[in-house]
Amino acid sequence: MGAPARDVLAVELVGAGPPPERRLARHAGRHVLIVPALAVLIVFFVLPYLNLTLISLMTPSHQAPYARVLTLGNYATLLRDPFTWRVIWHTLWIGVATTAICLVISYPLAYHLARAPRRLRGLLMILVISPLLVGVLIRTYGWMILLQDTGLINQTLRALHLPAAPLMYNDTGVLIGLVHVFVPFMVLSIAGTIQTIDPELEFAARSLGAGAWRTFRRVVFPLSLPGVLAGTVLVWVLTISSYVIPSLLGGFTVLTVPILVVRTVTELFNWPGGSAFAILFFVITLAVVGLYVRAMGHAGRLPDQGDDR
Amino acid sequence: MIRPRERRWMAVAVAVLYVFLLAPIAIVVLAALNSGAYLRFPPEGLSLRWFVAFAESRSFTSSLRFSLKLAALATAASTVVGTMASVWIVRFSGRWRNAFRVLFVAPLAVPGILTGIALLIFFYAVGWGNTGFVGLVIGHTLICTPYVFLITSAGLLRFDRTLEEAARNLGAGALRTFWRITLPLIKGGIISGAVFAFVASYDEFNISLLLSGVGMTPLPIQLFDYLRFSFDPTAAVAGTISIGMAFVVVLVTQKLVGLDALYLGGG
Amino acid sequence: MAQIVLDHLTKRFGDTPAVTDLSLELASGELVALLGPSGCGKTTTLRMVAGFETPTAGRVWLADRDLTDAPPERRNCGMVFQNYALFPHLTVEQNVAFGLEMRGVERAEIRRRVADILDKVELGGLGGRYPRQLSGGQQQRTALARALVVNPSVLLLDEPLANLDAKLREEMRFYIRSLQREFHITTLYVTHDQAEALVLADRVAILMGGVLQQYGRPEDVYHRPRSAAVAGFIGLTNLIPGRVRARGAGRVIVDTALGPVTAGGDPALREGADALLSVRPEQLDLLRPDAAPRNGANVLRGTVRERTFLGSLADFRVDVGGGVVLRVQGRPSAVERAGDAVAVAFDADAAWALPRATS
Repeated sequence: MGAPARDVLAVELVGAGPPPERRLARHAGRHVLIVPALAVLIVFFVLPYLNLTLISLMTPSHQAPYARVLTLGNYATLLRDPFTWRVIWHTLWIGVATTAICLVISYPLAYHLARAPRRLRGLLMILVISPLLVGVLIRTYGWMILLQDTGLINQTLRALHLPAAPLMYNDTGVLIGLVHVFVPFMVLSIAGTIQTIDPELEFAARSLGAGAWRTFRRVVFPLSLPGVLAGTVLVWVLTISSYVIPSLLGGFTVLTVPILVVRTVTELFNWPGGSAFAILFFVITLAVVGLYVRAMGHAGRLPDQGDDR
Repeated sequence: MIRPRERRWMAVAVAVLYVFLLAPIAIVVLAALNSGAYLRFPPEGLSLRWFVAFAESRSFTSSLRFSLKLAALATAASTVVGTMASVWIVRFSGRWRNAFRVLFVAPLAVPGILTGIALLIFFYAVGWGNTGFVGLVIGHTLICTPYVFLITSAGLLRFDRTLEEAARNLGAGALRTFWRITLPLIKGGIISGAVFAFVASYDEFNISLLLSGVGMTPLPIQLFDYLRFSFDPTAAVAGTISIGMAFVVVLVTQKLVGLDALYLGGG
Repeated sequence: MAQIVLDHLTKRFGDTPAVTDLSLELASGELVALLGPSGCGKTTTLRMVAGFETPTAGRVWLADRDLTDAPPERRNCGMVFQNYALFPHLTVEQNVAFGLEMRGVERAEIRRRVADILDKVELGGLGGRYPRQLSGGQQQRTALARALVVNPSVLLLDEPLANLDAKLREEMRFYIRSLQREFHITTLYVTHDQAEALVLADRVAILMGGVLQQYGRPEDVYHRPRSAAVAGFIGLTNLIPGRVRARGAGRVIVDTALGPVTAGGDPALREGADALLSVRPEQLDLLRPDAAPRNGANVLRGTVRERTFLGSLADFRVDVGGGVVLRVQGRPSAVERAGDAVAVAFDADAAWALPRATS
């Protein structure tokens, strides 16, 4: 590697590069990357939701999906109807029950997952994620086989000469199905935070005389609250907006807002009424989530969640 | 910290919960392989007769084909769009990063059924009332893109940017650095994202329920209609196919990016 | 001929200055250590030379070309990154060949030169491995080979030994030094480890808070620090405040709480100026309290307060009165117990007076 070769290479390579104006153009060129995604989101996501809001202010009509006359009547009708409120209340309640059960079930799973040795963790992750990737419909079908009156569980009960239990076409069936579908979301949320908690903290707590339960209650749980918050919000929102499970496991006996909205739009062809119901529900959901997040924050135990980078 | 005796209790509890998670899935596979029309214990015997019934059912096979076609198109579109977006967000978004991230994941955060209704009404309002297949592809792309975006971003964030500096330092221009160094190293994330998108579309129900028209029935909708009135195990065969696909996806993702990329928590 | 010239370089990130008005010249074949605590701007400086950061003001000249605005790929400087930045999807050979490929060198020639350099860094036979299959030291040598194989006009090293264990770090110092000599390549070496800088460098540039504090040979920087900050950063030192009483013939006499002390002094020191005396612990001699002083040596009397055994040396804290406790390093046998009365002696050459900033 003599000196001459060095010079040859240097001459080929060294230079000032493209002139500044071209570099500026390339700089602007980067932003082309975002254009397709932004276009899809604005045209097929933001605009449709704006449109939905607009339609909720139109007058229902028998000749067309709606008449172009602005009104607040759809909302007035909804708000006056006790049936609306019953369905909303029931939906929110199913959401809370599902979320609570999910939390209780998911926490041990998440803790176990986050603290498992690396190898085992890979396997456990597969077990947690797999149900997530099997369509909701398929999983619901599995539950139908298990829960129906002639299903496996009731067969077993009968074989044991126990009374059969009505597990499907009621709230019980819906709750079982919902919990099963949303547990993985909760586990992933919580495990993510637990993994960031230094295990040494637990050793420290134990060395200071705290038992397993107190270590959990005073150290692990408070530190995992961000994950709990994220998980509960996610699961609650997903639960109250799910359609398949309440329809199939609830039969026609369990009514939730999504079922009613779809029915209003596709069977009654009352687009403005359905839109108004959708928007109303949306607003209530946002309000509940907002209050919940604030309450959790005010409990003063939530560390600031900055940018995760 | 958990001591041995506590650990045993924990292990039992966790095992029970995993059984709960996996039971209905195992049941579907069992039902598909069971020779009888109802699953009972002890099982009546193994048989592939429901697979034959599935293969012979025109409505099921055509929905399967339709679903695969739809998923392929939605995957292609969302992979391109989502990957571009994630590169931009991770590299060039500057102080807008968080705002854009929220926007891009929003389609997953709002109720899918409402998005379906919003799209249905929107297509009608702008005069695309019978967009049919195109409308479905658009709807599915909307739902699949966030998955691609999330998984690809995770890969990009983990990517060590000094590798690019090293390449530049060794004489590679920006473009060549991307092709020779960056792309090969984030390829795993992109593939996983695409695979996820495919499954998300294949399983998507809400959008399809509202946007699928006559003669365009994706498999989930076909199953839904079927399950409302019948329990025969032909549906279980469709389920088993989907379950097999899910396991492939999980294994591919685990191998390429590690499933840790899917942690959702605020940590 | 200067291979690297930094001409009044300034870099600000937003309102935060990282490097301020830094000028530095490296002669051909010279190895200069850019030394400073973390966050002092040394890595930013290196990145400006490599082209990863654009200076806010000032110019960068490499091999007599102004390359301030050139993109990194057109600067022909070899660089070794702190984490080595070896491409994980390429083998050792492919990593090393990368720069040659980018320069359009023929295949056969690439193969020959890659084999050559791998032999030179003792990695012959490992060319087919991937980086993750190498030990830390092997990764380090791969990174060096990759940077050197393209015959760069300058070599930039960013804390290259920071990720190695102590023993290997020591070996690699000498290895890098001999490799650098062999290639006769102008090298800018960023480190926060003062021992590394003193051992390796022809000259040391000390950067603090983005400002160049001192630039000179290791001996000068060590024995004749320009400021208390430099004296404190490089090695251990005792700092004794005082005032310059007289100066002349390269000597100053400084009045301190311990009486007048003769020392070498910064030429900028005027009579009557506030000064700090810097005396290195290993240059203080511990004598019996009644020992006769050598000619011209400063002698202080005091009591050993603390004695710490360090192995070949011991560390003593000696109270010499006036509220001053000196740190002395010497043979462990010099004093056996704390509490003993001792005399502390040092030559005028061993003490250095530097200006004390008055606030």
